[in-house]
Amino acid sequence: MMASRALGIGAALRQSALAPRTLRNNAVMRNVVARRSVTTNSLPPSAADSILNEQRLKRPNSPHFTIYQPQLTWVGSIANRVTGVGLSVLLYGFSIAYLIAPGTFDSTHVIEAVQTLPESVKYAGKFILAAPFSYHAINGLRHLAWDSGKFLSVKGAYSTGYAVLGATAVSSVILTLIK
Amino acid sequence: MSTSLLVRSTLPRALAHRAILPRNNSTLKHAYVPGGPIPKGSANDATTFPPPSPTHGSYHWVFERSLSAALIPLTAAAFVTSGSNFPIVDNLLGLSLVIHSHLGFNQAVVDYLHTRKFPVIGRIATWGLRTLTAATLIGVYQFNANNIGLTELIAKVWTA
Repeated sequence: MMASRALGIGAALRQSALAPRTLRNNAVMRNVVARRSVTTNSLPPSAADSILNEQRLKRPNSPHFTIYQPQLTWVGSIANRVTGVGLSVLLYGFSIAYLIAPGTFDSTHVIEAVQTLPESVKYAGKFILAAPFSYHAINGLRHLAWDSGKFLSVKGAYSTGYAVLGATAVSSVILTLIK
Repeated sequence: MSTSLLVRSTLPRALAHRAILPRNNSTLKHAYVPGGPIPKGSANDATTFPPPSPTHGSYHWVFERSLSAALIPLTAAAFVTSGSNFPIVDNLLGLSLVIHSHLGFNQAVVDYLHTRKFPVIGRIATWGLRTLTAATLIGVYQFNANNIGLTELIAKVWTA
């Protein structure tokens, strides 16, 4: 009988009211009423969605990429995307700038502007352009190898990944030193 | 006071048999009737999937990878030749690079700004990208036609 006891203020009142006279205790009812008076709002049924959305906004996110251990696999992957986006932003930027203002961005002006820079800045600039280009191109070869079904294992991914890093370093140095 | 509370507490049980009677429209939109239709349009709906389409699926993949593979000999040729002597290489390279960049940007937009989660910004990003790609194609063509060309520019700036 204890296991089937119902919960709630209504059930509590029913129980104390319908219990035998000897068990009915005004103090119990006084305690139930005084301790558990709550106020209620009247909401339309459509409020269920807005309440749910508000609750979902307050829920915490579990930490993911702030705590994920850096690994060659995913760091290499996001580096491929970042280098690709960076190089493309350069291409798009220059092309649209030339389209809008062909007088300021034509080849003679650009070459002149680069010629006036000091040597160290020129070498730094060349390295900053050569490294992402080399990485993206060589990692692209790695992606095409995966698309052909090769090196599709953890060992394969890591060995090709290290090979890409080595080749990128060599290629960047060679490209930077082209005079 | 206790009597009225008692009456009100037993009222739900007395009215329970009335729950199956049809209510007004506002509750019918959201109340689930056993065996009846499940209303859609709330935050609890399962996510929808795009309809299967080879154009956006396997054909897109094949085109993207073929273009990436074609860029390898094209870039090698650009390194070896001078752009002004071989305008065909310049124009092909410009076209292929811009399309390759567009496909890459599109992947980033779909990954980070999907219209399912970002209905306004996602659409702005998608159409903004298409506009910028069109402008870039025109700019690249103009540069190759009226100026020294992409490969020549990179060669001259690199050795300036």
